[in-house]
Amino acid sequence: MNTMNEPRLQRDDAIDSLARRRRDEVVVSTMTAIGPWMRNSPSANNLVCTGFMGGASTLGLGVALSQPDLGVWVLDGDGSLLMQLGSLVTIADAVPRSFLHVVFHNGVYEVSGGQPLPGEGGVSFAGLAAAAGYAEAVCFDSIEALEAQLDQLLAVSGPVLIELMTEPCGDGYQPPPPLLEPTREPFADNWRAVRDALEK
Amino acid sequence: MSNSHKNNTSKPSSAVKNAQSIPAQDLLDAMTHAGVQDVVMVPDTHQRCLIDLLDEKLEPRVIRVCTEDEGVALCAGLITGGRFPILQIQHAGLYACVNNLRGIAMDGEMPLVMLVGLLGRDLARTPRDNFGSMVRLAEPLLDTLGIPYILLDGPDDLPQLADTLASFANRDGPVAILIGAEPS
Repeated sequence: MNTMNEPRLQRDDAIDSLARRRRDEVVVSTMTAIGPWMRNSPSANNLVCTGFMGGASTLGLGVALSQPDLGVWVLDGDGSLLMQLGSLVTIADAVPRSFLHVVFHNGVYEVSGGQPLPGEGGVSFAGLAAAAGYAEAVCFDSIEALEAQLDQLLAVSGPVLIELMTEPCGDGYQPPPPLLEPTREPFADNWRAVRDALEK
Repeated sequence: MSNSHKNNTSKPSSAVKNAQSIPAQDLLDAMTHAGVQDVVMVPDTHQRCLIDLLDEKLEPRVIRVCTEDEGVALCAGLITGGRFPILQIQHAGLYACVNNLRGIAMDGEMPLVMLVGLLGRDLARTPRDNFGSMVRLAEPLLDTLGIPYILLDGPDDLPQLADTLASFANRDGPVAILIGAEPS
């Protein structure tokens, strides 16, 4: 079991690795993955989850079940997934074939100041996913190991979960600025833009 | 805490006609006619006749989820992908998924349609006049959230269901359809 004292990979290195392989997949990102992903892989097919922590995994599943031939990647947080951990079972039961679930396991609630997750050091998200029925579930703690196996994992009929043991970075998440004037939440435009892109 | 609600339920309201059961087949026909493609559900005892019918068919597709929170997010993903889903839950599930309802369906202006069973309702009283909090608080919660709803209290209300389902493509927020009496 990986603990905070053992080597971990850098979140942004993993984001780079994924972004270089991204084609037309819909990518659902949440929490600290949002910023680096949007910088590395801007696309009309990016769905951004803010304001409903825990919802990324099943939001992505819904897209996957609506368009089975389309690849869907979910860039999840460890704390986020814990909020709706049953979604692992729901996803495994639905058997989305082109579904990649990436969990950035940094062990802390980074946004709120780095408090440790419950059970940190004793929880394996890859183990949970495998037990839930994912087709493949693996854990990496180095970028070299991820690079060596990522192409092969992307070719597996899903659902696939990749747990990445990452260093907390402390600078990652910038909360959205307060809405000073009555306006729409960004998600209201975001999902419509993705829907429209998928219709083309 | 006030117990005023208990006083409100001391006798049936004379103005209320007993809620009537709607045939589950009629509910399913309305959904099919409106083009509903997916029913995302946490099984609701109140709607078991409808669930039995759904299980016999390939369309609409049934997708089971572990929690109503998941159901809201899954429906949002389906809508994003161009599908017309319905979230079928029980009143207790409505209370369980308020944050995703707010963050995804309300803030996201998502046309989420929820079919909510009022399990355990005293059919001689309005839902608000029921003793049980799960029934009694459903409409006030929806009012608080600003989510529009209709109450199906018998076959005469089926046109309301048809109208609500037909409005899916033009909605910019969630709507709830409350099932007043257990479908037959």
